[in-house]
Amino acid sequence: MTLELLVEIFLGAASYWWLILIATTVGIIIGAIPGFGAQNTIIMLLPFTLAVPVEMALTFMVAIYVASHMGSGIPAILLNIPGTGGAAATTIDGYPMAQKGMAQQALVLTFVASTLGGFITSFITIFTIGYLAQIAFYLHSVEMVVIMLFGITLIAVIAAKDPLKGLISGVIGLLIGAIGADHIYSAPRATFGFLELYEGMPIIPALIGLFAISEALVMLENRSMLSAEGRERMLKAGWRETGEGIRMALKRWTHITWTSVIGLVVGAVPGAGASIGAFVAYQQSRLYSKTPEAYGTGHPEGIIAPEAANNGVASGSLIPLLVLAVPGGTTAAVMLVVLSYHGVPLGPRLFVEDPGLAYGVFATMVLSYLIMMVTILPMSRYLSRVTLVGTTILAPIIIGFTLVGAFSPRAYIFDMGVALSFGVLGYIMRKTGYHVVAMLIGIILGPLLEANFMRALRLSGGEYSVFFGSNIGNVLWLMLLASILFPIYSNWRRKREREARG
Amino acid sequence: MTTTHRKLISRRGLMKTAALGGASTLFAPSLIGRAFAQDSFPSRALQVLIPISEGGGVDRSARAFNAAWGPSLGVGFEYSYFPGASGQVGYETYMGRRDADAYNLLFGAIGPEMIMYATQNPGYTFPDDYVYFAGVNADDSVIWVAENSPFQTLEDLIEEGQSRRVNFSGSRLPHPSSIAVFLLAEATGANFNVVPYGGGNAARSAAITGEVDACCTFMSSSLSVADQVRFLTVFQDENQIPHLTDDARPANDILGTDFPALDGLRAYAIHRAAIEAHPERYQILKDTIAETMESGRYEEATVAAGLSPDFNVFRNEEECTRSAMQFIELANRFEHLLRDA
Repeated sequence: MTLELLVEIFLGAASYWWLILIATTVGIIIGAIPGFGAQNTIIMLLPFTLAVPVEMALTFMVAIYVASHMGSGIPAILLNIPGTGGAAATTIDGYPMAQKGMAQQALVLTFVASTLGGFITSFITIFTIGYLAQIAFYLHSVEMVVIMLFGITLIAVIAAKDPLKGLISGVIGLLIGAIGADHIYSAPRATFGFLELYEGMPIIPALIGLFAISEALVMLENRSMLSAEGRERMLKAGWRETGEGIRMALKRWTHITWTSVIGLVVGAVPGAGASIGAFVAYQQSRLYSKTPEAYGTGHPEGIIAPEAANNGVASGSLIPLLVLAVPGGTTAAVMLVVLSYHGVPLGPRLFVEDPGLAYGVFATMVLSYLIMMVTILPMSRYLSRVTLVGTTILAPIIIGFTLVGAFSPRAYIFDMGVALSFGVLGYIMRKTGYHVVAMLIGIILGPLLEANFMRALRLSGGEYSVFFGSNIGNVLWLMLLASILFPIYSNWRRKREREARG
Repeated sequence: MTTTHRKLISRRGLMKTAALGGASTLFAPSLIGRAFAQDSFPSRALQVLIPISEGGGVDRSARAFNAAWGPSLGVGFEYSYFPGASGQVGYETYMGRRDADAYNLLFGAIGPEMIMYATQNPGYTFPDDYVYFAGVNADDSVIWVAENSPFQTLEDLIEEGQSRRVNFSGSRLPHPSSIAVFLLAEATGANFNVVPYGGGNAARSAAITGEVDACCTFMSSSLSVADQVRFLTVFQDENQIPHLTDDARPANDILGTDFPALDGLRAYAIHRAAIEAHPERYQILKDTIAETMESGRYEEATVAAGLSPDFNVFRNEEECTRSAMQFIELANRFEHLLRDA
């Protein structure tokens, strides 16, 4: 990478600033509506991306893609409804912070963490893409099993206050995640004859039900989603709160950096997604925090970690597409179709024949984040006012919108039924002290864990020793063990210190 | 963003193409004749159900063919996608929830979907409930290894398989290319193990990144990674595109075997009841497809869609049925490997 080329790619990307502005705005909106992801939008706009020059098509797709990751955090904070699975972990601290009347600060934390995390990781990618692509050569099924387990241990963290209920929620989630065709023989399991469940429990409708609909039902029990003190604070909020949010975020820039790098590494593995990146980053963030008990109560770092990570995943997930010609996720798969149509030579040849286009993807990302920083930050003041809207108005709107969102990814009426069923289940869980996030972790990560587990076993001919047969895997196992034992040791030590102090 | 590969389409060019397309649709002689003579079938868009995800190879093939077929029919196409359980969701939906009126068609890949039919016992019967009547595109099974693999030839891979288990990545077990590996193992005594990755992209990634020894998949989808792999063989009478696939020879030529063609013939299917209730509509569908094939428009549309016309074929109902029955037979033969005991 020469300086001349670097300047050239940034100038090239900057010439499409107007398109990035449009695409990031569209991306933030679709990311904020549960059920409407970047993938669907890019598919809908295929005729446009096929008709325009490839640079323009790629700029448009990349900007929409990164913006949708950022947009998904908005409803997670304001309404406890993640726009995508990648923002599910954001609800754990984002919504409690909003309930305290600090929605504006929480949104600013999200925006700064997302833009800064995405900015840092896309910049890192420009200079290290060759090395990052190597991650896919070392993290295979066995290693992915351990990485999934990092995310799944979050269930225990969430269940800290009531381990039995947390465990029950997580296990039920894992069982729900096991519905559908098995990963080896494609034979349907536990579908109860519903064709719509053959591919597994649809994540988006389940997420919408567990979070959006159940939250709307809970909301209706009160006139406002805010506490009295929180409402008071929100009514007085102005630009000062935006500034406070920026300060809170910038003070934690190192936290943003390392959690976004977790996302980048996870994203560089083909098939891993934003949900895994965000859950693992949240778990790691809490593990190394000096105040782990503050997580779940509206802690800034609990917002920063998943948001920086899911934007890091956005940078990482395009690496396999460009370097190996293998799309790392569903949105990247649609991009592959567009790039193939335009005759772009993907894989190592791309970096030789057309380095401008290859690196230009990440230059576009960097610029997208810069533009979003300018456009979205001032909006947080106004977006946060949503929390002041009466619940009798808000709840029906949420239910209506999200039911359409549940329908849209697959166009099955059945999925609206799934969302409503999970809505009722989520409501009962909330009222009885069971944690919906623990269940969602099971539903999202369960099938991925099972797929990698079964694959590793098949590769080894059924030998369980395969899980301890790779050096990287063994290091990851030790890290996992440490991340489980470390909090236990810390608690024990704190308890001892308290006792010693009398 | 800069690039050395520019394929600019001017606004004027686009408008010209659209105008030409519109004019050819309006004034196509066959269409005018049919509009008056055949009680105006079709009078509305045909509904095409695709049992695989949007944007994949089957979808793109359907759209490329329909771009050429549309002018002959004089109507457009509306698509719906019902992926899941190796195509079963789409077929069950087509058979159970679509009217048998010849307006509703299914476009699928015969090989993988007949293996699914044979192994999953769905709630419909072939060929009593539906028939494939026009195959328009065929993708062949291939085996390839990563560029840096120690295996230079198919014989190397077989020799290795005779001393240890050799892992192949595949998109799923009920797939023609998995059966290709089973046949190869049966014929040579090699210990070959197919590991399903749940999709072609993941399967290709596993082979390129060295998690498995080789990949068994379809040829067209492998072309995007052709730079990074070495094609070892193809399961067809001849290699359609040797210049893009390292001159890989057919397995039968290398081993002297008699393996059947293990392809994914992409074809249109229709309800049997629609053929019986509306034979004249069925005839129009077949006639217009034959006209499309003769017109040369299909090749143009394939190129325009960014696909290779090398995979374009035409197979009639009889040939499609023969291919389907062959896959049912193969799936039954290897049932012990395709189904969980």
